[in-house]
Amino acid sequence: MQSNRLGWILLAPTLVILFFFGVVPFFYVLWLSFHQWNPFALDPAVVYNGADNFRALVFDSGFLASLGVTLAFVFFAVLSELIVGYLLAQAFLKDFPGKAIFRTIHTLPLIMAPIIVGSIWKLMTTPSIGIIPSLLDSWFGFDLNIGTSAVAAFTVTVVMDIWHWTPLVTLTLIAALVSLPADPFEQAQIDGANKRQIFWHITLPMIAPALLATVFIRLMDALRTVDEVLMLTGGGPGSATRYLGVHIFKEVFPRTNYGYGSAVSIIVLYLTIVSCWLLYVALIAPRNKKA
Amino acid sequence: MKFAYKLSVSAIALAMMTGASFAQDIQIKNPEWWQEAGKKFDGATLRGVTESTPASNYVADVLAPKFEELTGIDVQIETTSWDQMYDKAIKDMEAKTGIYDMVYIEQDIVYAYLARNFLVNLTKALDENAELKAPEYSEDNFTTFAENFRGSDGGLYGVPMEAFIKVYLYRTDLFNDPKIQAEFKEKTGKDLKPAKTHAEYTEIAKFFTEYGKANGMDLWGTTAQAHTGHPASWYEYFESVAPTYGVYNWGIDANNNYAATVENGGTMNSPEAKEALKWWLSMRDIAPPESVQSTWTEVATTFAAGRAAQGLVYGENAAWIATDEEKSRVVGEVGVALPPLEPGVLEEAESGKGYIGYYDGGAFGLPVTSKSQDAALLFMQFMALPEIQEDWAAAGSRITLTSTYDTPKVKEVDKELGGYYSMLRDDGKLFKGAPEYPFHRQVIEATSPTFYEILTGSIGPDEGLDMMAQKAEEELKNLGYRK
Repeated sequence: MQSNRLGWILLAPTLVILFFFGVVPFFYVLWLSFHQWNPFALDPAVVYNGADNFRALVFDSGFLASLGVTLAFVFFAVLSELIVGYLLAQAFLKDFPGKAIFRTIHTLPLIMAPIIVGSIWKLMTTPSIGIIPSLLDSWFGFDLNIGTSAVAAFTVTVVMDIWHWTPLVTLTLIAALVSLPADPFEQAQIDGANKRQIFWHITLPMIAPALLATVFIRLMDALRTVDEVLMLTGGGPGSATRYLGVHIFKEVFPRTNYGYGSAVSIIVLYLTIVSCWLLYVALIAPRNKKA
Repeated sequence: MKFAYKLSVSAIALAMMTGASFAQDIQIKNPEWWQEAGKKFDGATLRGVTESTPASNYVADVLAPKFEELTGIDVQIETTSWDQMYDKAIKDMEAKTGIYDMVYIEQDIVYAYLARNFLVNLTKALDENAELKAPEYSEDNFTTFAENFRGSDGGLYGVPMEAFIKVYLYRTDLFNDPKIQAEFKEKTGKDLKPAKTHAEYTEIAKFFTEYGKANGMDLWGTTAQAHTGHPASWYEYFESVAPTYGVYNWGIDANNNYAATVENGGTMNSPEAKEALKWWLSMRDIAPPESVQSTWTEVATTFAAGRAAQGLVYGENAAWIATDEEKSRVVGEVGVALPPLEPGVLEEAESGKGYIGYYDGGAFGLPVTSKSQDAALLFMQFMALPEIQEDWAAAGSRITLTSTYDTPKVKEVDKELGGYYSMLRDDGKLFKGAPEYPFHRQVIEATSPTFYEILTGSIGPDEGLDMMAQKAEEELKNLGYRK
């Protein structure tokens, strides 16, 4: 009983902080999403408008376009990060010359602020003077212009995200892979299983919890990407990279459309929860059922 | 060689992003008064937020340390991007957190801030606190640009700290080169000189883009502030290009129920507006490739890197482009002229009915939420002292006091700049700041997605402007301005 009370006392500071910086802002945003409020309107009052903001979302072509490109971005970025991260994790489990240096360099992007990442990529991809378009032009005669080509801009934002966040996936998967017991692998080899069978039937199921946790983290991050993209493309060309985070930023800050922006935020939160739940149901729940 | 050149261009861009540093030694006329006035605030810290521009960097790097040396009041100036500056300032004033004691107010946002009662009436505050009024400070010293920062009560709500016009810059080394002049004459039958009309400008731009290509040079005929995801492109079109075709105040008629569409009496989608947009897009197509990612900063960098023969460039950058050898490849080779115009526009500007380009600038305002208003009042007056203006003008191409025009350094730089300051003084009246609307960012954000689609070619200019005018009216209706 006493240790239970001590536990709550020790937890109290964290719970208080979480309440003020997590719970209160969430309910404030939720409350705002049912109101119309633009402080730069002729009448800057906060007016209750029921579900009008959510109803407007359904017919807002800007929001729907933003949702579409965001889902595509999340799919390509997170899937690529998982594949590349897994391959790098496997590589780092083996010894090769310069491994320590390569691992350090590979981890560096993780410690960079997103705005810095956006700036670096902007300098590298500015049409005609950035190093990447310059090299692509010299080597392949390819004209990379993220200011005019929607495909180029989208691809560069995906590559930038992969560059920035793959190290997180790699580190997580290294931790998961080194903690696996050797017995099942030895047994499988004795039974004549090939590498692909070992991967699908032993490695993958055993690292699934770590993999899923990584996917959850990356999914949540990718769905709310703002800084890097805002710095790199500003959401352009046109609305090619106006991902939901950028869309919300532009609605809430420059346009000061607080009520509508809050409604979009709530929908994004809902989407994130649903996506994570679907992944959980698809990957983990069947295994638990079998067990 | 080409690669090294590109690297150096990137280095110029990087230098621009990191800001400038200045090391002038300023002599204050009446230091005793400042020391005495600062005594009761000794140890206080003032915080300001502003856009990272040459003029603002001078405040952070030179004026703030000098003020602290005099008064003992520490001044921390945060110089950040334009978007972040607004984001931080508005959030602070809206939430009444009182983090900032000074905020940069660009001329186009002051009407919104006044409508929201964000700012302190400086005239009144100094009248009520006579002991804080510096002997050398006077509102009469300001140029007429200060009038932009007066409220309906006549009080001043911001101390002007930068003011400049968006001018037509051209490369004198290219325009005065006899070989190029002869080639231009041969091709066009005309003398090569700064354009007065859009047709002349187009001819020169096309000539230099072809000339650059034919001679293997990284040279194009014009700049274009045509970012496909940043409002800088929106601004260039509506504030610098459309007025030269006679489309004023973004095509919105405030006296006619804020109409934007031609159908309702606005001009945002008028034939003149459409012609202006098509002309600007045609210029964008022969500008350096980076133009589609360029805001005002990158346009200046492009010009400084010697990649454009002519272009519309914000005057705040004119001085460093023309004089700073560390950042610019075209030092001493810059001329200025009035923007190219359609027939009749100059006459309309002279008669006060219209204007020929953008007169931009900003002031430092004192938020009502500041917790150190008295100390901030001191710093604001310090920024308006005549004796600190000369070096500041030379470093940041900005003039806010009438006396600054006659200082030796400004006269000297004026020569190097091909008469930019003289133009600011003599022809400044032909330019105009942004329209007096309290809904700038709202209308821009409502219409800019369509504008960016026009830039990418997904929507045609005619159809796009029709959609934008419609969107603008919808937004103004939502905001309650349009009935």
